[in-house]
Amino acid sequence: MPPAATTALAAVDSAALATELASAATRLQIGQPEDWEFVLRNTDYLGVGVLLTVGLTVASILLGFVVGFPAGAVEVYGDGLLKRVVSTAGIVLRGTPIVVILIVMYFVVGVPQINLGVVSISSAMTAGILGLGLRSAAYQSQIFRATLASVDDGQMEAGRSIGLSRFEAVRYVVVPQALRRSIPGFQNEFTIVLKDTSIVFAIGLAELLTRGYDLFSEQTTAVLEVILFISAIYFVLTFTTNRALDRLGDYYAIPEGESA
Amino acid sequence: MASATRPTTVRERVAESDPSLGRLLLVAAGALFWGWLVVSWLNRWLGGVVVPVGAPLVSPGAVEATVAALPGLAAYAGDARFVVELTPELARGTWLTVVITAVSLVIGFFIAVPLAVARVYGRFSAWLSLMYTELLRGTPLLAQLFVLYYGLNLASYVPGAVSGVFPRDVVWVAILGFTLNGAAYQAEYIRGALESVEEGQITAGRAIGLSKLETIYYVVLPQGLRYAIPSWTNEFVYLIKYSSLAAFITVPELYYRADQVASETFRYTLIFIVTGVTYLALVLTASKLMERVEGAVAIPGLGAEREE
Amino acid sequence: MSDDEFLTVTDVSKWYGDEQVLHDVSFEMDRGDVTVLIGPSGSGKSTMLRCVNRLAEAQEGSIRLDGEEVLSPDLDVDVLRREVGMVFQGFNLFAHLTAVGNVALGPRRVLGLSEAEARERAEEKLERVGLADQFASYPAELSGGQQQRVGIARALAMEPKLMLFDEPTSALDPELIGEVLEVMHGLVDEGMTMLVVTHEMSFARAVADEIVFLDGGHVVERGPPDQLFERPEKERTGRFLERIASHD
Repeated sequence: MPPAATTALAAVDSAALATELASAATRLQIGQPEDWEFVLRNTDYLGVGVLLTVGLTVASILLGFVVGFPAGAVEVYGDGLLKRVVSTAGIVLRGTPIVVILIVMYFVVGVPQINLGVVSISSAMTAGILGLGLRSAAYQSQIFRATLASVDDGQMEAGRSIGLSRFEAVRYVVVPQALRRSIPGFQNEFTIVLKDTSIVFAIGLAELLTRGYDLFSEQTTAVLEVILFISAIYFVLTFTTNRALDRLGDYYAIPEGESA
Repeated sequence: MASATRPTTVRERVAESDPSLGRLLLVAAGALFWGWLVVSWLNRWLGGVVVPVGAPLVSPGAVEATVAALPGLAAYAGDARFVVELTPELARGTWLTVVITAVSLVIGFFIAVPLAVARVYGRFSAWLSLMYTELLRGTPLLAQLFVLYYGLNLASYVPGAVSGVFPRDVVWVAILGFTLNGAAYQAEYIRGALESVEEGQITAGRAIGLSKLETIYYVVLPQGLRYAIPSWTNEFVYLIKYSSLAAFITVPELYYRADQVASETFRYTLIFIVTGVTYLALVLTASKLMERVEGAVAIPGLGAEREE
Repeated sequence: MSDDEFLTVTDVSKWYGDEQVLHDVSFEMDRGDVTVLIGPSGSGKSTMLRCVNRLAEAQEGSIRLDGEEVLSPDLDVDVLRREVGMVFQGFNLFAHLTAVGNVALGPRRVLGLSEAEARERAEEKLERVGLADQFASYPAELSGGQQQRVGIARALAMEPKLMLFDEPTSALDPELIGEVLEVMHGLVDEGMTMLVVTHEMSFARAVADEIVFLDGGHVVERGPPDQLFERPEKERTGRFLERIASHD
């Protein structure tokens, strides 16, 4: 098995020493123009990293929704064994560090490479999506569990009273309201996943942070510039995502009247 | 309203008794877990009073033999032995995990409260507070740790007074990073809780002659902090898990040590399952602890009623 | 039991856990009748109402509606509820749908009407309750009286044989009660069979064919309004009605 994880930590260890020596000289050289030039020269390299970061985020959030929404519904409407299994899986996924989940996906589960003809998804990428996605599912299930339960019982009653079956009442009456209430929690989850993509560093997936690391390992005088640049990109990503989701929330909001 | 209670069935009675059995098991497991950790740590500090330093508390051979004798589990005897041999390293790492988490959380709290107060009640300071929290919450924790360790190389600036407390000075860099990050998140949670304190409380406080600051300290905070407990617990759990990132700036905490052993022995599956379980145990302890705290400081009528 | 009887409730008893909330309740209704259930709070009136459309489950007794046994375990409750409409004290309008949306949901999803047909029916019912100008309003934008009228339209859209009203005006401000009672009067005139739980005594006196007085889950007295209001057989009935009257 490709020991990318050990590479990440081992690289960190050996680089540490080199950095400590080099940094003695860099202490007084924060903000040197050559260093910023270095960053600018490599924007295309980092750009691919940004694409990967965004792609990872979107794929993981989607997986999280597809698994998390039914899980949340089970925790509200289910009973017995299924509910216990879902609940326990959620507790385990929410209680384990993401880095451990990723390592487990990569080494233990050993996800294969996926070939889609034109593109192929590396096994590190698959592990990343699975790990981040399942973790997100565990958290999204809690969001949906809370919002589904927050819809007034009377809504359900009224739905049943016109002849909707239990499933239909949940689908046409409860879910539409619950989804709207889920938007703030979902916003939060989105930014969390976006930032967590940086942790695929541990399995050697070359998204934004990993590429940054590669760069500043190469040119150790530019460490601070590179990281600050990357952090700025993350900040812009989270900021724009939040505003976009705000807009979405406003668009789909149920009008509140002025009447008491 | 229209819900009918079903007559008591066997299934329901079992479900009702389950929690008490489950709780007992949980408490026993917790006692075992923390017992092992504390004895391990004391043993190391006191120079090997129970077993030689670095050796497991129980004999691996004995465990292997016991498991081999149990029906159906014989195949796992070798694994059991390996896990027992692993425990000293895990205990060592867990110590740093616990320390980093606890210290960062506490210091972070004392930074977060003023940040939150400034955000809710300040004018210019509100903007500064907002900028701080937005920046730290909008960028990945790992990147922040990299800035501190690689970018600013703070490991070489650790003051002599505190150097040597930990085996590696870089632990202080990690603590700084988690403190700053944690303070930002805690500030957000506390802010939300402060805003949910009714306006009338502040009015009443001013009306009896308390200054703005005194009102905040004596009236708003006692209520707001209680409202904040659930989300604060989130932060506690979050820090326990994300302390694992300190490994990437060479801090020898739990994840780091687990990974070291894994790269030497290649037994990834077993090691990371055990590591995962260890983190789970820490997380569950934290949750239960905070539940107790919430109960202990609860005031009737304040905060959500616990439903059974 | 006469075959003319449309709704026959016989010895219905219900327990919540160990507590018995309905004791052998019996009454009958003909097609087109209006029966009003009255009684102090906690007397089981709303529970009795909910037993008729199985939103609450009665453990003993029989409820026959138009020849079918409602309490039969083999009965498909969803089919039953197409025939029995319910109006709630708290309106329970679907918060995420407009007035038209609320009324059209049943016809569309349960009765299988097309989008256009369902919409047409919804608009017709809303016009009937006097809300022709509020098709596109959301519940939060409507007054209590308007919301309740939408609730009535929603129940009517299923074209039920029987309408159940659970204290339809109890949650309304006094000045809004009239518009809802007006709609209910209209339904009475059209011959709708209605089982109503209410405190509105003037309404009961005016339209009820029979009034059933429940107390502590027991039927204390049943009879036409004149009997109960003027010559009650039981003293308890008289005392209760006096207390209610002093509030009117």
